[in-house]
Amino acid sequence: MGHESNIDIKKSTGRLFVRAPVHGKSLHHIRTVITDLARQVGFPEDEVAKIEMAVDEACSNIVEHAYNADRNWTWKHPDPEIRLAIHTEADRLIIQIADNGKRFDFSAYRPGNIVDRIRAMRSGGYGIAIMRQFMDEVEYKSDDQNGNTLRLVKCLKKS
Amino acid sequence: MREFRIEQESRGNIQLIHLQGSLDMYSFPRLESQLQTLFQQGRYYVMLDCSQLDYIGSAGLGALIGFAKQARDHDGDLKLLRVPERIYKIIELLGFTKVLQVYTTEEIARASFQKP
Repeated sequence: MGHESNIDIKKSTGRLFVRAPVHGKSLHHIRTVITDLARQVGFPEDEVAKIEMAVDEACSNIVEHAYNADRNWTWKHPDPEIRLAIHTEADRLIIQIADNGKRFDFSAYRPGNIVDRIRAMRSGGYGIAIMRQFMDEVEYKSDDQNGNTLRLVKCLKKS
Repeated sequence: MREFRIEQESRGNIQLIHLQGSLDMYSFPRLESQLQTLFQQGRYYVMLDCSQLDYIGSAGLGALIGFAKQARDHDGDLKLLRVPERIYKIIELLGFTKVLQVYTTEEIARASFQKP
């Protein structure tokens, strides 16, 4: 299918824009873009790994849930995509991840303690908790005009 | 970018699976299928050689916990071997090493199986 060749990366006014098909093949390429950028910004490798995982969890959720959960939703988006807008503000790396898939009430979701889930040997439900643990700010909003946007922020000074 | 690859070999009763590349939600079903086949054959002693692994996401980690639980229910186990430092730091920080056993050498991992 060559999904990777459909990934579009543009730089404009200090921001990096990435558009990728909603497909599992896109995840590796998104991670590569994010890790390269985080290293350029100056994050140490331990923090780069955390940013990489947080973004991967966000994008994996879109691939797995946003467009697949409801057939009636999918037909409205015959060519669904994940859109990332990345920039820095002072010492903060700001990553916005948007899609037009099914809305998810992110803010109200409380998956509980990660270690408790692990000790209970639960096989899933870690993604959002990992984002919250590894990023300094996690904010979700959704509206009919712009779709769903997840804003992840990592501060360089805290690293 | 390294393509995800799986190679399997037997060490007596223990199955050693070499992983290469990224284990994310896209690639994980391939490993899942391989582990399901092993368990259907009654092979519950499994070591995953992670030395060539570049990345592992929570979908993969969560599923590995599920397979480790299945293996232990049958007096076996699924253990991780030679996990790169970058990945080890992440899984230790999150707490996955509290239930997934990680070894630095194959010899120690093999010896840790109660009935190899």
